[in-house]
Amino acid sequence: MSLEEKLEKWRRLEEEAREIRRKQADWKFIDSQPPRLRAALRLYVEMGDIRLASKVAGMGVEEFRELLRRARVPVVV
Amino acid sequence: MSAEEFAVADTCFLIDWAYWRRRNVLPGLFRAVFVPEEVLREVKSESTLEWVAENLATGSFALFTETQDVVGFARAVVERSRMLPIRGVDLPEAVCLAIGKMRGYIVLTENRGALMAADALAELSGVRVWRSLDLISQAFRRGILGGDPEAVFMEYEEDTGHMFPPGGVEGRNR
Repeated sequence: MSLEEKLEKWRRLEEEAREIRRKQADWKFIDSQPPRLRAALRLYVEMGDIRLASKVAGMGVEEFRELLRRARVPVVV
Repeated sequence: MSAEEFAVADTCFLIDWAYWRRRNVLPGLFRAVFVPEEVLREVKSESTLEWVAENLATGSFALFTETQDVVGFARAVVERSRMLPIRGVDLPEAVCLAIGKMRGYIVLTENRGALMAADALAELSGVRVWRSLDLISQAFRRGILGGDPEAVFMEYEEDTGHMFPPGGVEGRNR
């Protein structure tokens, strides 16, 4: 598989994962969070990047992972 | 001793796997699972730390102190991953990928950025990366786990807040 084909495969898989996160997320919980956490959770739903989102939240990766569980945002790998 | 008997675990893998009720199948799959210092520093919760410490005590896990060559390679991987239109990797995942490349150990991750980097970067060719999905499948193949695989996958999803790709056990491995 060429690099272009691999990138296209990952682009497609990322789009599928984004849709799953959007659908499964507890938006009521997310919208009830303080601004920083709300922004971080929304960022995670869109990008799936736990490190970037945990930095926005001002949390460690493990602490943010727990917040994702409470927000019912699945990790799709 | 083959390099395949060893694995190196990243933070995302450890903090999810530790939530699973059958987390102790992991030591049965490898002679040792290395935990880099960079990764251990990120584990904060009492329950995960206790589990990691128990396995360090029994020798199922082993601490991996990063050498300069590993860190240098990992930093190059971080930079290269950010040059492509994929999710980049950060240093803890890159350290695990570098160890996978330089030592031949299987990399355990639940970070899609690490999967993408291993797939797309030529300098990581040959690195074997396993997700929990692959580990559970291996545990069934080796007879460490029995019963209905679908039920076990569902159980893992329930316990950890993970979601595996649809399509059954074989369909999941794409």
